[in-house]
Amino acid sequence: MAELGWIVVFTVEMALIATVLNVPLALALAAGVERLSVRWRTLVDAVASLPLVLPPTAVGFLLLELLSRYGPVGRALDRAGVEILFTPRAVVLATAVMSFPLMYRAFRIALGGADRRYAEVARTLGASPAGAFLRVTLPLAWPGMASGIVLAWCRAIGEFGATILIAGNIPGRTQTLALAIYQAVQTGRERDAVPLIVLAVAVALAAIGASEMLLRRQREHRA
Amino acid sequence: MIRLDLEQPTSSFLLRVRADLAGRVTAIVGPSGAGKTSLLEAIAGLRSETRGRIEVDGVAFLSAAEGIRLPPERRRVGYVPQDGALFPHLSARRNIEFAGPDPERMRHLRDVLDLDPLLDRHPRKLSGGERQRVAIARALMMRPRLLLLDEPLAAIDQTRKERIVSFLARLRREIDVPMVYVTHLPLEALALADEALVLDAGRVVAHGPAQALLHRRDLGGAAVAENVLELDHPRFDRERGVVRAETPEGMLLSIPLETADGARWPLLVRVSGDDVVVFTAPPGPLSARNVLEGPLVELELFDGSADLLVGTPTPLRVRLTRDAALDLALRPGMPLWLALRTRSIRPFAG
Repeated sequence: MAELGWIVVFTVEMALIATVLNVPLALALAAGVERLSVRWRTLVDAVASLPLVLPPTAVGFLLLELLSRYGPVGRALDRAGVEILFTPRAVVLATAVMSFPLMYRAFRIALGGADRRYAEVARTLGASPAGAFLRVTLPLAWPGMASGIVLAWCRAIGEFGATILIAGNIPGRTQTLALAIYQAVQTGRERDAVPLIVLAVAVALAAIGASEMLLRRQREHRA
Repeated sequence: MIRLDLEQPTSSFLLRVRADLAGRVTAIVGPSGAGKTSLLEAIAGLRSETRGRIEVDGVAFLSAAEGIRLPPERRRVGYVPQDGALFPHLSARRNIEFAGPDPERMRHLRDVLDLDPLLDRHPRKLSGGERQRVAIARALMMRPRLLLLDEPLAAIDQTRKERIVSFLARLRREIDVPMVYVTHLPLEALALADEALVLDAGRVVAHGPAQALLHRRDLGGAAVAENVLELDHPRFDRERGVVRAETPEGMLLSIPLETADGARWPLLVRVSGDDVVVFTAPPGPLSARNVLEGPLVELELFDGSADLLVGTPTPLRVRLTRDAALDLALRPGMPLWLALRTRSIRPFAG
């Protein structure tokens, strides 16, 4: 097991990168899906939510197949000299994929719940569709979206199944908090796992508290 | 001039409106679900399914023939939805300046709509009437070519209605923007509009001068015998406990001191045609403080009542029993004297 400090910093860093990468994607998809017909919207919602309901190991397996040297994406990356599997990049990818649905669904609810009339009135006041979105819809949806970002980051911190399949559990290279707890228990060093678990609980509680506070702000906005 | 020749599908019917609106304030009147809000939204450009032609002051907003469909942001139409729809995350000032700062316009609107105490508050800290004032200011800030108001009094309690109506009356006088005003209350339309379009189930059932139209019994009749008058230039006689004020046509009326005290002038008042006593000769001394003279312009007899329009300096609608009308042998053109008690002149919303 790597040093506790390194594990914490590495885990937080990987989760942050994954979360930051997810934000524009989730925002574009959640805003764009509103324009689709109900049938297409349902399909996009279902696909985007898959990692939430599939076993993480199944998602990890699919990613592994996709990124392996013989997989369709892996072959191209290999030719370009980009290495992903069993590197910190794989940790980012696994946590990003697994936490995406939480962020996407929160964005969908927050944007869908913003009263359309505000954007319409903004248009009559001279705002373009993009202007109305940025100046009215987005600020109104922001507390709900921020709550989704916090929850997704939490999910990224705790991600295990997909990460271990595509990033391995390499101390000092790809070992995250969740993987380190697993390793400590597996090797009979339960005492080493205790501080990690305490830390995980503290992060989770802080994040849920922040998320609740943001949601309360959104409710106040709408009242 | 607003030229409408449009079709707009709604959930329950196809709204069809063909009309030229030339009034300074046009009231769109009709029962709930008649298509009034849909019509406003079509003019504002908020409905993508609108077909036909919409033209305002020579500018085509929509023209199927020419392939024109201006987006809402290029129509320059101020739209005030029923509850104002103020942006909840912005203060009143930032709501008003959403379309951009315009210090000169802001100064004028602050004065006309009495906005100063509201500017630094957030929408949730404003009352229904205050929200409406801010929403109207926001719509007027961009100097629109047309102002659309959707039931601005609907979400306001009775006691505050009078204040908003007086603000709207002031807007009509001081801001040179034509208004289209949706309401389901004919009396409200009567107070503000010079033209009315009556809608029912998506069809125009009547269109014409507000005064003539809103008194017609076949159009709901709620305003049949109601008069809404604008009074100004008050002269207080505290010793005698009355106030004399005049209509824009110069008709002097005595109103109760308590109605006039603390009121904003010009003041909108209502007089029920049922409260007017009619004489066919000059009456002798009377307790009623208002005696007005004018010819009988219109007379309509019904089963139990008679509706009169009397050509006093500001024409008044009067309702008598059929029996009284027959006894007085009323005929158009004959001179009449009307007596109005001071207390029968009430504040508009009272």
